Amino acid sequence: MATLDFANVLAVGILLGGVYALVSVGLNLIFGVIRVVNFAQGAFVMLGMYGTYAFTAVFHLDPYLALPIVVPALFLLGAVVQRLLITPLRTEPAMQIFATFGLLLLLENLVLAATRGTAFSVVSPLASASIGVAGVQLSAVRLIALVAATIVAVALGAFLKRSMLGRAIRAVAQDRAAARLMGINADRIYMLTFGLGAALAGLAGCLLTPIYSLSPEIGTSFILPAFAVVVMGGLGSVLGAYAGGFIVGLTEAFAGFYVDPSLKYAVLFAVFIAVLIVRPSGLFGQLGAEEVGLRAE
Amino acid sequence: MAVHTGRRVAVIAALSLILGAGSPRAADLKIGVVNPYSGPMALYGDEMTRGYDIAVEQANAAGGVLGRKIVIVRASATSAQEGIAAVEQLVGRDKVDLLSGTYITAISNAASEAALNNGKLYWETNALSRDLTDRGLPNFARSGPDSTAFARRSVEGVIQLVIPKLGKKPGDVKVWIEHEDSSFGQSIAMEQMRLLKEAGVPVSEGSHSARSIDLSDSILRAKNAAPDIWLSTGYVIDHNLLLRTMREQNFKPAATILVGTGDTPETLQALGKDALDGILLVSYPRADIGESYGPKAGAFLAAYKAKYDRDPIAPQAMSAYVGMKILLSALADAKSTEYEPVIAAAAKMDKPLGTYETGYGVKFDKTMQNVRALPIIAQWQDGQVRAVFPKEALAPGGTLIDLARK
Repeated sequence: MATLDFANVLAVGILLGGVYALVSVGLNLIFGVIRVVNFAQGAFVMLGMYGTYAFTAVFHLDPYLALPIVVPALFLLGAVVQRLLITPLRTEPAMQIFATFGLLLLLENLVLAATRGTAFSVVSPLASASIGVAGVQLSAVRLIALVAATIVAVALGAFLKRSMLGRAIRAVAQDRAAARLMGINADRIYMLTFGLGAALAGLAGCLLTPIYSLSPEIGTSFILPAFAVVVMGGLGSVLGAYAGGFIVGLTEAFAGFYVDPSLKYAVLFAVFIAVLIVRPSGLFGQLGAEEVGLRAE
Repeated sequence: MAVHTGRRVAVIAALSLILGAGSPRAADLKIGVVNPYSGPMALYGDEMTRGYDIAVEQANAAGGVLGRKIVIVRASATSAQEGIAAVEQLVGRDKVDLLSGTYITAISNAASEAALNNGKLYWETNALSRDLTDRGLPNFARSGPDSTAFARRSVEGVIQLVIPKLGKKPGDVKVWIEHEDSSFGQSIAMEQMRLLKEAGVPVSEGSHSARSIDLSDSILRAKNAAPDIWLSTGYVIDHNLLLRTMREQNFKPAATILVGTGDTPETLQALGKDALDGILLVSYPRADIGESYGPKAGAFLAAYKAKYDRDPIAPQAMSAYVGMKILLSALADAKSTEYEPVIAAAAKMDKPLGTYETGYGVKFDKTMQNVRALPIIAQWQDGQVRAVFPKEALAPGGTLIDLARK
């Protein structure tokens, strides 16, 4: 029984880790390249969810089919936000953080006004499906999120490492002035990166919609653990965001089951502080990441 | 001079007649209503106020109260701080005579104290926490059920409805009490635990944060305890997530009872009717309850449909409607809107259970809690919520279906 409990909690933690990794990869990409701690990332996830809900309500199709609409829409929104909000504050890094926080509240309240707080949910045949493996239950939608997080982390790492555009993004992240001298349009790279980060949030939102009842504040609920993910995994590291997701997911699941569900965030943030003290750069980050920028691995 | 005065009087009299002010018209009786009209709880703030509006319309059609037309003035509050600001605005700017509300306990708590500071009555119709009346504020009364009534009704449901249906004895069943960890969930869970232990029912307990992204740990802990009855108090979002996680984890207790929420279209949309079938709900009396329990509940439902062209979103509306009717009776008895005479008049009211549409009667205890305001138990049946307990509340032809979820 104790072994089965352990296996169940392990499965829950890994699946939850997939959810957090999915939400955090885009956040870390934006931080690594543009050096902005983007509070609005939670709002982008929330918009991805509401976009998916709107798609299912209008077309009566499965929420996963909303991906080709929601992801590009969030990319465009991200690019516009970068151009209109982040660029004008380029010389005021602290103000950029406040601006993204303001954007989070703005988007939350716009959605609140539009929905009047109704907790919408989407229906997908997969939402109720779970697979039993040796007494361990694995939810289908969470498995999909885990697979997607893995594909996204691998693909993003490969894109940044091997493609020309990826190299350009890394070049701008490492030294903007030198990248410009090499003929890279840094402004366009910033816009592209912020768009990409927002699109990843849209992807997360779409894939997570079958799990949750929607509320405008759901993005805020994601953003705090997501910050723990990127700091523990390593600021600016794609692999760090992925691995950090599992650290947070497993810590939360084990603390919730073996300590107390109402204490799990206390345990999580105690671990968070301990990791910061022992390894300030996180597990896969490097000291001074805010200066050095993005790492593809 | 006398001639001039006479002319002046004649001119004033004529002008008065022309302007329709032949006799002084009583000013409107303004009731300030504090509720969340924006934010995540706006749905329920609006719904409660629809109940007030129907009660006020009916009272005005019958001549108002104290010879005055009643007017509802809304002020939005989504937090305790906003509750205080709402009261200041209603009293200072809108010149309301008294105040009412509230969907959220924390808002009621702050707003009623602000009302006392302004010398105004605060008439609570919906907020649940027992603490509100235990404060002993001299300007405060609650016409609807409190958290203790919800806890008691849920335990009655366990002992009188579920255990016999399962064919077991109280000592042979295990109950898992799950609750969200704010004062709303905690106050109900503590009372449930006390009452169930008193009845000899073995209980275990678990709590969770309503804002948690994942509740698998709570469900795994409950599943591990293998309870016959899973009794949970929470809000809409966390209840939906708990029920979905139960399904993912294949956790199927013999009976599931939700307290406070889980009875709205939001939960139906999240889970689908098949997954909800059999779940019991401890909630405010619904507009489709049997008329022998809640006389004229059908008339309220018809009035609501006529005004809003749909069924009520949540049962809070009818409880608010009845709360406003009790308030208007107390005002008429007191012949005043000042809180001291109104509270004194309310304290003297004595109406048996089954007087109002919700099945409520009126008898305030010394803390000014109406002890004849009781929730009911309903059940999800094929996508509909049907009253099932007490048996007088059953709609004609209504019955209790199998408790186990599919």
